Amino acid sequence: MPEIFIDGKRYEFEEGEDRGLLQFILDNGKEVPFFCYHPSMSAPANCRQCYVKVGTPVKNRETGEYELDENGEREIRWFPKMQTSCTTQMQDGMVVHTQETSEEVARAQKDTMELILINHPLDCPICDQAGECPLQIQTYKYGPEGSRFEVKKQHKPKRIQLGPRVTLDAERCINCTRCVRFTDEISESHQLTIVARGDKNYPMAAPGREFDDPYSMNTVDICPVGALTSTDFRFKARVWEMNQTPSIDITNGKGTNIDLWTRDNLVMRITPRFNGEVNDHWMPDAGRDAYQRFNENRLSRPAIKLDGDNQSKTSWNNAIETFAETLESHGPEDVLVVGSPHASVEENYALMKVFNLWGVNNFKFAPHIEEGTGDGFLITDDQAPNTSGVKLLGYEESNDLASEVKNTKIVIMLSDELIDRGVLSKDDLKGKFSILLSTNECDTAKTADLVIPVTCIAEHAASYVNVEGRIQRSFPAKETKYTNRSLDLEMNQGRLDRFGTNFDNWVTEENKVDCAPAWEIMNQLANRMGLDVSFGRGREIMEEIAGSNPAFENVSYERMDNEMGINLNPSNKQEATA
Amino acid sequence: MEETYEFTKEDLDEIEAIKAKFPEVMPATLPTLWVAQRRFGHVEPPVQRLVAETLGLPESHVHGVATFYTQYYKERKGKYVLDVCTTTSCQLCGGYKMLHYLEDKLGIKAGETTEDGLFSIQSVECLGACGYAPMMQITNDVYVNNLTEEKLDKVIDSLKDGKMPEFESVGMPLLENINNK
Repeated sequence: MPEIFIDGKRYEFEEGEDRGLLQFILDNGKEVPFFCYHPSMSAPANCRQCYVKVGTPVKNRETGEYELDENGEREIRWFPKMQTSCTTQMQDGMVVHTQETSEEVARAQKDTMELILINHPLDCPICDQAGECPLQIQTYKYGPEGSRFEVKKQHKPKRIQLGPRVTLDAERCINCTRCVRFTDEISESHQLTIVARGDKNYPMAAPGREFDDPYSMNTVDICPVGALTSTDFRFKARVWEMNQTPSIDITNGKGTNIDLWTRDNLVMRITPRFNGEVNDHWMPDAGRDAYQRFNENRLSRPAIKLDGDNQSKTSWNNAIETFAETLESHGPEDVLVVGSPHASVEENYALMKVFNLWGVNNFKFAPHIEEGTGDGFLITDDQAPNTSGVKLLGYEESNDLASEVKNTKIVIMLSDELIDRGVLSKDDLKGKFSILLSTNECDTAKTADLVIPVTCIAEHAASYVNVEGRIQRSFPAKETKYTNRSLDLEMNQGRLDRFGTNFDNWVTEENKVDCAPAWEIMNQLANRMGLDVSFGRGREIMEEIAGSNPAFENVSYERMDNEMGINLNPSNKQEATA
Repeated sequence: MEETYEFTKEDLDEIEAIKAKFPEVMPATLPTLWVAQRRFGHVEPPVQRLVAETLGLPESHVHGVATFYTQYYKERKGKYVLDVCTTTSCQLCGGYKMLHYLEDKLGIKAGETTEDGLFSIQSVECLGACGYAPMMQITNDVYVNNLTEEKLDKVIDSLKDGKMPEFESVGMPLLENINNK
């Protein structure tokens, strides 16, 4: 196997490997500073930051043996200049010195950094990128202590609205061209270019054109400085005030892996999380708006219709009592349970199990598919995150839910805005007793006779099966009225959460929603109705599903966490192993 | 209303010939921009868009290329664009004096165009003719060397008559001529 010596240590690599030297160094847990390189895109080597010293051993042309020096060591012929490691291909016997073992390399990197910083403004204190800025971090680690540049910096345009979602501060740009390459190679919209090349250069869309790529905000994530910022998130929160929780995108069926960034129990922004099997480093812009659903217009406390069409808030006890009484005054044959592709596997399972035990056998769901909206990349026709999951649980797909509703007296609906998305009309539910377990205010919630608020994906640990049959799970990111970060080991604590008290002015009690996971509501209902069933947390429910439903065989939260999701689809499984 | 631009049949033939020279379309951007500038006198955004459509390239790419070169006019210029060199050698030999003389004579500042649309003046960086300083270039074409005020008067008059100055061949000074001095 070919070998390479990096900082005096021997490593082996595969013959014909297409990884560049930089990626190899990073993969082996070492570090070389860089800005323009990105593992999913081509390497133009234009930031010149990843300089290393590279040499190859001298071989005797006749014998093919390595030439040895007087100490018996291989003689090395050094490349005449420093090489950018991102574009250097590894060769057998290559010797590499990074900044760790070569003063010369450290000096070269420092000088490159000094040039990169020449026109960069010193506005870190008000820059959104501060705290997660490769330029800031690497300047501290490898950069010069001060600037020797005493003349006026080049001024460039600021606050340019490149598109509906991206704002440019051209002065901060170091022209790494990551954003340009993203639109050329990943989203293929070719909307950006570098204009006015020279010392006044910056990325820009063609004149009169907007940067309205449906993936435009990925450029904000990959921008190694604060040049491209999210118009929506700009100046809203500092990175170090927030805490970061892994989750899944719920705005379509792809199951894009994301991070929820929370502060004071509000989701401040959503960014993509790397998963090579699903979304690589990217996510569509639409998914980033979902944070508003988690914070705003939430159903809080149960509501019940008492006089005519007016709902009023009620207690949890009364809600469960009404739920049970309504069921008991009818028979199981009068009940339709509408599962939801928008809710998790665990929620759908808990509902099905309880009502099944009571004798109901009418379980339906309405898929939420809008033909033609998918793009073959990360946006799917399927508008819901868990269509495959509901199907696998045994809910029957119904394309005419309205006529199903006609033949029943009680309709129990789970987290699905059926009226808002046109599956049912208000008249369909007239004369029926409708019960909705849901997360957000909507027309469906206004119409229902009993509304029970349940936790959203940002508040519970639960799993979702994407269009390709991959099951992935969320972690709770926001507290509800009944959960506590310091007691729930699944929850992260940010700095403010950890060191604050409930009486601090950065703790807002109103940000905690009065809601409970659907399975806990089912627990209470089953208890009240004398059914012998109870559910633990999402983790335990998944164990139960794995033990009873062959489609979910061997699925567990541990495996999902370790393998970044599990493919449930047997045909895909074979492909994966082949 | 944005003006619409179209290439003539001859232009399109020429562009096809340009494209045939390269294995890919991208390198045809520069010569095609020249074709466009020759036809329309400038490469304002609508013209850049036309070039992009004609070549089947992203508009952003053509825009990026066009902004790199000062020789492409991203806005309308006069019929004659006087690029006066103001970099070191010319500066020392009176480049700014020539520039200001022109500005006073034509009543415009560098970067502006006369009202009759005949002249634009630009102060430009080195045009590589330091030996004949001070000098200027007219509309990306003829160099006028060893400028003096009288020479500028003459050049402006002849341009007003629609005559471009002749190309001046400035040979290397011969050794004996130098020695004779």
